[in-house]
Amino acid sequence: MAVDQEHFVHLARPLAPNVLGYGASNAPLAVNIQPQAVFSIIDHAVRRDIRDTQSTRVIGALVGVRSEDGSEVEVRSCFAIPHTENEDQVEVDVEYQKNMLALTLKASPRETLLGWYTTSHELNSFSALIQNFFASPETGTFPHPAVHLTISTEAGQPIETKTYISAPVAVNAERAAESCLFIEVPHRLLFTDAERAALGSVTAAAETDSRAAPIVSDIENVAQALETVSDLLERVSGFVGEVLDEERDGNHALGQHLMNALSLAPKVSNVAIEHDFNNHIQDVLMVSYLANTIRTQIDLSQRLATAPIIGGDKEGEKKDGEEGGNKQEGGRGGRGGGRGGRGGRGGRGGNQNREPREPRDGGE
Amino acid sequence: MVDAQKDVPIKSAQVEALVVMKIVKHCSSSFPTTATGSIVGMDTNGVLEITNAFAFPTVEVTNTDSHQSNDASSLAAAAPRAKANIAYQSEMIRHLKEVNVDANNVGWYTSATMGNFINLSFIENQYHYQRENNKTVALVHDVSRSSQGALSLRAFKLSADFMTAYKEAKFTTESLQKSKLTFKDIIVEVPLIVHNSHLLTSFLHQIPALPDNPEIPLPTSLDDIRRDPARAPAHPSFDSLDLSIDPFLEKTCDLLLDSIESHYTDLNNHQYYQRQLTREQFKITQWQTKRKAENAARLAAKQQALPEDEWQRLFKLPQEPSRLEGMLNARQVEQYSKQVDGFTANITAKMFAVRGNLLPE
Repeated sequence: MAVDQEHFVHLARPLAPNVLGYGASNAPLAVNIQPQAVFSIIDHAVRRDIRDTQSTRVIGALVGVRSEDGSEVEVRSCFAIPHTENEDQVEVDVEYQKNMLALTLKASPRETLLGWYTTSHELNSFSALIQNFFASPETGTFPHPAVHLTISTEAGQPIETKTYISAPVAVNAERAAESCLFIEVPHRLLFTDAERAALGSVTAAAETDSRAAPIVSDIENVAQALETVSDLLERVSGFVGEVLDEERDGNHALGQHLMNALSLAPKVSNVAIEHDFNNHIQDVLMVSYLANTIRTQIDLSQRLATAPIIGGDKEGEKKDGEEGGNKQEGGRGGRGGGRGGRGGRGGRGGNQNREPREPRDGGE
Repeated sequence: MVDAQKDVPIKSAQVEALVVMKIVKHCSSSFPTTATGSIVGMDTNGVLEITNAFAFPTVEVTNTDSHQSNDASSLAAAAPRAKANIAYQSEMIRHLKEVNVDANNVGWYTSATMGNFINLSFIENQYHYQRENNKTVALVHDVSRSSQGALSLRAFKLSADFMTAYKEAKFTTESLQKSKLTFKDIIVEVPLIVHNSHLLTSFLHQIPALPDNPEIPLPTSLDDIRRDPARAPAHPSFDSLDLSIDPFLEKTCDLLLDSIESHYTDLNNHQYYQRQLTREQFKITQWQTKRKAENAARLAAKQQALPEDEWQRLFKLPQEPSRLEGMLNARQVEQYSKQVDGFTANITAKMFAVRGNLLPE
């Protein structure tokens, strides 16, 4: 699932003067952002310190992987960097950035520094300064361009993301360090299948007033999904009904689509369905039954292993009596009881060896 | 007041969406190798808020034999208590503190496949954390089960009884009889809640869901539908309606068989111990009778009696093997069978739905 933010044509990108031997391509750059990076930025924005800095934005570094030719980058994670900003100067904790980058890369050695993020859409000369820092050969991503991601986190407004790369531009040599040309590049949010489930739970939490939701069991999940499906079916059948009653105009494309969907139903005879259904459900129930039998057996064995046997309390004697008096074989302690339990159950105990294998054959 | 707060046990754990995403990402990207990491947060009135997470460094396995993935897994599983990682963790927390992240370690997380996480390593890790701070949990993310559509993330901690027992490292029959500790009391599950910040809620509502406006423009051709398919909402996920549950059942059965196998190994160990014990005891009795007869003879000859407790030096009783392994195994089997129950409930419902659909009454 990918969420495109907007469409625009992006033909080529400007680059820093190409250094021979580096061979960075000038193909268009595409940025893929994984949700955990965005989540992380939002978390950072929420936790920003507003006491000793005048800026309302926070900055941090983007970490991820770059495709071989450098034309596609994937932002996988990010970390916050403390910085202070006022009217005439900006301070970024370079030492912190260096240490944190080293720590992050230690945990995921395949990732590299990609660029930086901030939580306002404003691009000013400070942005240029930081951008040049992240794009420089010593501390940044050179020869690849540094990616700059901006996310607006104004309360009450939609959260928008934008990504930029930059080209050096300056009116004179002295000002080169604090100027650059930002060029917007396309980006999208990328959700992998593995994250779908997580996103489901998170979205469930987002739909409640308390912004919190318990993690539901599988069966509840199925129930919710079924309810949604039946709602959707209701809507479709309502639409079809309205068309048939000539309350609204039909739509050829939709009709065709529905026909296609309906024709997907398999053509199998009723007897075959019944047969397959019964077989399968038997298998499943069998596995469940056997799993529980195994659990009971092992539970029992554990219990008997630690059951009190030595001593004259009545309960112990009674138990020993039931277990076939294995104890007389001489001070065997717990395990004697355990074995007695097994032996006492006769055929059942012997069956236990074979039982679990049967369902597997049936299931395969 | 601090003391009052300290006494409040953890009733539930609340994870931020960020933590969920980070853990899921880390675990699924390193699958099938086990992934482990640390979680930070704070506890307020019995609710453990988990607000951030980070992964432990992966250990590069240099040898290239066939057991490579196993080695990497076991190394990763041991990571939370490795010395290098403790240093890494405190360094990371120190850095996170500078950007206003809750700087208290509240446990660790690990990945699992079909619920096979209950083993000695898990217990050792959690013991390592819980020994220093009682309010720590282990988050377990089941990668295989999450691929079915429903997120499987659970929080566990060791019970207080088990902590004392483990501290003494005594898991003999006698001590278990005394403490009445059974395998059901080893770990305690803590209810888990997912929580979002306001800003995140607002962001999540921007991710496309079902259109709110019922009057959407109708498509003009079939291609329109294909080009722009309806986007399924993330919640509830339709992935959970998938019918292919057999691979999961099969895998669980395999794991169950493994458990039975180790149960037998455990059983054999104990039987061996008992045989050994009987033999030794028999020898001791023999020795004692002999010594008694000797003493009687010496007494008759008016000689000084030989000491009768010398057998303690001469014979050594075998050490009873620890019951812990067996207990963990039993707990693991319980976990599997509950899992199978869950699957069965699911698949039965789905099967009846399918039949109802294909065979209208």
